[in-house]
Amino acid sequence: MTGVYPSMSHPSNQGRICVRGWNVHEVASSTDRLRQPLLRTTNGFKEVSWEKAIEFVARRMRDIRDWHGADALAFFNSPRCSNEESYLLQKLARAVVGTNNVEHGTGVYCNNSIDTLLEMIGHPATTNSVGELSESEVLVVDGVDLGMQLPTIGGRVIRARLNGAKLIVVDARRQRVAEQADFFLQLRPGTRALLYGAMAKVIVDRGLMNLPFIKSHCRNYEAFLEAVRQYDLLAVAECCGVPAERIEAAAVAYAQAKSAAILYSTGVAARGRGSTRALVNLALLTGNIGRRGGGIFALTEHNNLQGTCDMGMLPDRLPGYCPVGDEAARRRLEILWKARVPETPGLDAQRVFDNAGGGQVRGVWLLRYDPVNTAIFCDAASALSKMELVVVQHLFMTSTAQYAHVILPVVAFGEERVSFTSTDRRIQLAEKVIEPPPGPKPAWRQLTEVARALDADWHYQDAGEVMEEITRAVPFYSGATHENLARNYGRQWPCTRDKMLGTKYLFEEGIPPQAFNFAVVPRPQTPQGASDDYPVAAIFGNSLYYWNQNVLVQHSETLKRELRVLLLDYPEGFVEVSEEDARRLGVRDGEKIRLVGHHGSSVAAARVTGEVRSGTITVPFFVKEVMKQIMGEGAFEAVSRTKPVFVRLEKA
Amino acid sequence: MRARIIARNEVLKIVDLLRRDHEVVAPFRGGGRDTFFDTVTDENRGRIEIHLPNPYLPPKRYVLPQIEKLLRFRPRDGTWELLPEFNDRKRAIFGLRSCDVAGIHHLDRFFLGREFRDPYYERRRKNLFIVNVVCTDPEQDINDECYCLCSDTGPAARDHFDLQLMDLGEGEFMAVAGTPAGEALFAEPIFRPATPGQVERRRRILSEVRHRFKNTTGWFSATVRYISRGQVLEKTWEEIGHRCLECGGCTYVCPACTCFTVTDRPVGNGEIERVRLWDSCALGGFTRMAGGHNPRRAVHDRRNRRFFRKLAHYFIQRELSMACVGCGRCAAVCHGDVGMPSVVEMIRRATAELDRHEPVKS
Amino acid sequence: MNQSNPENIYLPKLAVLDRVVDEIDEVKTFFWHFKEEADQAAFRRFRPGQFAQVSIFGAGEFPASLPPSPTEEETFFTIRKVGSVTDALHRLRPGQEFGVRGPYGNGFPMEQYHGRNLVFVAGGIGLIPLRSCIVYALANRDKFGKIQIFYGARVPKDLMYQPLLREWEKAGGFECYLTVDRPDADWKGHVGVVGSLFKKSGVQVPVANTTAFVCGPPVMFRFVIKDLLAMGLPETDIVSTLERYMKCGVGKCGHCCIGVAYVCVDGPVFTFQQIRKLGEDI
Repeated sequence: MTGVYPSMSHPSNQGRICVRGWNVHEVASSTDRLRQPLLRTTNGFKEVSWEKAIEFVARRMRDIRDWHGADALAFFNSPRCSNEESYLLQKLARAVVGTNNVEHGTGVYCNNSIDTLLEMIGHPATTNSVGELSESEVLVVDGVDLGMQLPTIGGRVIRARLNGAKLIVVDARRQRVAEQADFFLQLRPGTRALLYGAMAKVIVDRGLMNLPFIKSHCRNYEAFLEAVRQYDLLAVAECCGVPAERIEAAAVAYAQAKSAAILYSTGVAARGRGSTRALVNLALLTGNIGRRGGGIFALTEHNNLQGTCDMGMLPDRLPGYCPVGDEAARRRLEILWKARVPETPGLDAQRVFDNAGGGQVRGVWLLRYDPVNTAIFCDAASALSKMELVVVQHLFMTSTAQYAHVILPVVAFGEERVSFTSTDRRIQLAEKVIEPPPGPKPAWRQLTEVARALDADWHYQDAGEVMEEITRAVPFYSGATHENLARNYGRQWPCTRDKMLGTKYLFEEGIPPQAFNFAVVPRPQTPQGASDDYPVAAIFGNSLYYWNQNVLVQHSETLKRELRVLLLDYPEGFVEVSEEDARRLGVRDGEKIRLVGHHGSSVAAARVTGEVRSGTITVPFFVKEVMKQIMGEGAFEAVSRTKPVFVRLEKA
Repeated sequence: MRARIIARNEVLKIVDLLRRDHEVVAPFRGGGRDTFFDTVTDENRGRIEIHLPNPYLPPKRYVLPQIEKLLRFRPRDGTWELLPEFNDRKRAIFGLRSCDVAGIHHLDRFFLGREFRDPYYERRRKNLFIVNVVCTDPEQDINDECYCLCSDTGPAARDHFDLQLMDLGEGEFMAVAGTPAGEALFAEPIFRPATPGQVERRRRILSEVRHRFKNTTGWFSATVRYISRGQVLEKTWEEIGHRCLECGGCTYVCPACTCFTVTDRPVGNGEIERVRLWDSCALGGFTRMAGGHNPRRAVHDRRNRRFFRKLAHYFIQRELSMACVGCGRCAAVCHGDVGMPSVVEMIRRATAELDRHEPVKS
Repeated sequence: MNQSNPENIYLPKLAVLDRVVDEIDEVKTFFWHFKEEADQAAFRRFRPGQFAQVSIFGAGEFPASLPPSPTEEETFFTIRKVGSVTDALHRLRPGQEFGVRGPYGNGFPMEQYHGRNLVFVAGGIGLIPLRSCIVYALANRDKFGKIQIFYGARVPKDLMYQPLLREWEKAGGFECYLTVDRPDADWKGHVGVVGSLFKKSGVQVPVANTTAFVCGPPVMFRFVIKDLLAMGLPETDIVSTLERYMKCGVGKCGHCCIGVAYVCVDGPVFTFQQIRKLGEDI
């Protein structure tokens, strides 16, 4: 594969892709691909045949299950896996092994979004289409650096703005897209829920809510109103650090728009439930669900985060999102799978890697997942080194693969015909355009062979047959056969047998009565906040720093250079300081700065940037030591619960 | 150039003739509005299109591939063998647009001119036969973003092709040869001499087509002047920088962009291959030196750089060719709408302020 | 034409490492020669101020200025370890092979300076590229007027080519002034930035019929230029060698282009007037 270019007619990107997209061909053609399965011996890894590898895996899994129970095994994948392999991985776990210990590795980030959307609008996904962003009158971008993380969507937002749409950006950080904002609400960390609550109050006070919509389609309005009345605009403005007039103007603009869309990310920057609920409340308040150009965009920052979740790679939900405790849903799957489905929710990656799930989990299966490098919430290396069985399926010898007992090489993008589901629910077929090099096998095929070795009657001849079964397991995929997907850039779900063309935006054909629920978001306690001793809020950052660990980046010359520039400039990591704070402290770019927190202090190089809000400091996720030193062992929890942490800054 | 006529239904026979000793690539339609160049085989020959949107990925990849092997280093008997890896395949591009012809010509001036001749480019170029097709169908051939009139590169290339074809309507195409290699094809019986009437028809069609461009980036030469004199305001570059998302797309799709990076990678048995890859000055690491100094760190400095390299007098003179061919691909690919036409417009608006004359005080 | 390989400008020629000498921290000098006699002979026609592209097979390629003068016997580079390729070079052992392409660049046109006074001003590792023209000038002493060398580093242990410096300080026929920003216990010489040497008592920097060569870190460069201009030196009589990230060295890859110049073919030697008119900050 020597090159790549985008399709001009693609409904989502229309031919515009980011620098990572332009270099994706380098992964498949990389000279470091693993070829044969590898088994760990006392003298390092040894190449073995597929038969031997599969037999070894099945035998060890059976041993662990028989001795310690099904829940002693856990199965994790990456949100870059295809639908077919994700589906089969959780089926292997549930139907063959008998455990719900499955997850896609980034659950700690997006679960809040899934749960919130399910409970409030019944669908855990972006409601509208990326293509509709050009039709929105108002766009709200919350806490996601579109320019760095999702340039294709960032471009849509910028162009919409150039065409007259109003842009509201809510972020502590002044990122690229914020430069175009009509209303830039540069709020203090941890005050989002407050801000949205205040905006809701403004809308209610001005009578700008969409009463007909609320009356017909929403439950719980009264309770919601009660809670909203507790917010006071001026007090909130003070708390957030944003001028009250600006909050008010933004709220009015949002409410008065014919169609307004809210964009936030379900990616690495974890968000609390409260702020997500408050966001969705705004959409319900103004009737922006089921409206073209409106909606909620729960942006997925990985190519198949949506699909992986749809396929049930969640410890507490089955394919299609029914909870594992839902007996009827389990029964349906049991009939389809001809096997029992366990009913106790399983452990997620964070719990398993943080102390091996309390010592219970002894074997893990990792499909395209590299937690040693990318799981910022735990010390995966230490957990893996204690496991009795580590099975790794990947393209390259990653840092995680060093801890494997067996490594099974998979094929790359373009080498197999499989499907992925994008952020706007578009299930797309990736065609096979080139033969894989001799040796590696598609991951879904490897899973089939392992299942068979464990006496399960699986016989998928190609990925299309796996998809065939998915159409029977996941109701809103029931029409998504490969044949249907092969037309017109895929189909957006729900894609059912009576709606084979898919669904552009949810509820486009009408909203069932009382389908939505307002959430009651009581006015949060003023966040335990800045004190005189610890006046600066530490924000845990993602954005481009995360990308440097990504497999594509490591094998593309251009991307490696670009995304490692920061690591080369600051070889021992860095924290980001605002220009004002740096000036006040007398710290220049590259010089050392000390962060003093409650539990301890840490020294790091300062990267001075105009993007950071004064009074905050951004700590990139990959400088784990800094987090630990400031917060002690509560570090990871703080990150996943999005509690702001306060520090004092000193010149080191 | 003496013109010939060929019947519309015989035009693809040119492809057949070329296939005797070339690998021929021609344009095809994909899904939606997608078009692309692909190798002609017996199976797809019937689907070659003549009037269609210009393929997105520029044909420069046939002379400057996205990844190209340069050298192989092989360890042997305690020493190293240093082996160049050339590609000597003869290739013909059927259906190259006039803007892209100018693009290839610009690459010729850049890679083959001045102090050093690039041997890899040279070989691919020597083995390349160009069949230019003039854009005459306003619905199909001309995109919204095209502005070859402003860069004086189209709709009909004046030279730098081997053969040029133009649809005259009424089932006839006019063929013009630009090189002896092109001329040699005229020995085939499918070509007959053109009449003055047909030449007149060509002139008329071209004159009409010139009115059918949807987007004209007027003010091009004024932009050249402002950029050459360093008179564009810093503020304008910052505005442009705010809209740029540093994807590199403009460089990758530009027929006249030439930058590349070089890397060594192991290929087994201790052997190393040295390859070059398309690179872009839009990217932050492009000028970063080992040790950390990066003279073009800010996005707007890099955008400034791009347009300076494209439009400054000095460079136009250096290569006797402008590094912008008016194809509009950069505009099509840009997230923030800061392709060449938009940037020219932004500079025009901003610097028009500077040009405002003060009224004479009497 | 100064190409080592006119048929394939990207193909290096094999070179062998002879010996390595430690200079200052992280900096070593590598003595080498081309495997083929003919390559060595062709290369020896290099000019002061030119550079070569050095390939460490498997690690990559980087540009290295040529510190030897064409009047000297041996060919060598002096390289600081800053990245993965220079790191690979630092791990080479004598006898091992690597690749060289060159010499490239315009070099200093020393013949044009015959009869003129020469003032060399260097800071830190900036002495490496200037070493070539200093040694050349001293080897052709009678062709030039007054010769002055001003050289400084941050601390004494950062001074490059110390044996050579000691020779220069002792020799007659030209002036050599050294300085450090921060002295150590043993330093007995001048203390201060390089520019402060101009005002040292007894120092008379000629301004007419003089060419000044300046090379050093950006801050030093800026201040020294300011001083020289203030003294009355025309900006066409101040020359420097610029450094840039380079990949091809032959004016094709685009990385080294500043403003209107490709540093690898139009430079790396430029007059200060040319630098000012490049159209971009260096």
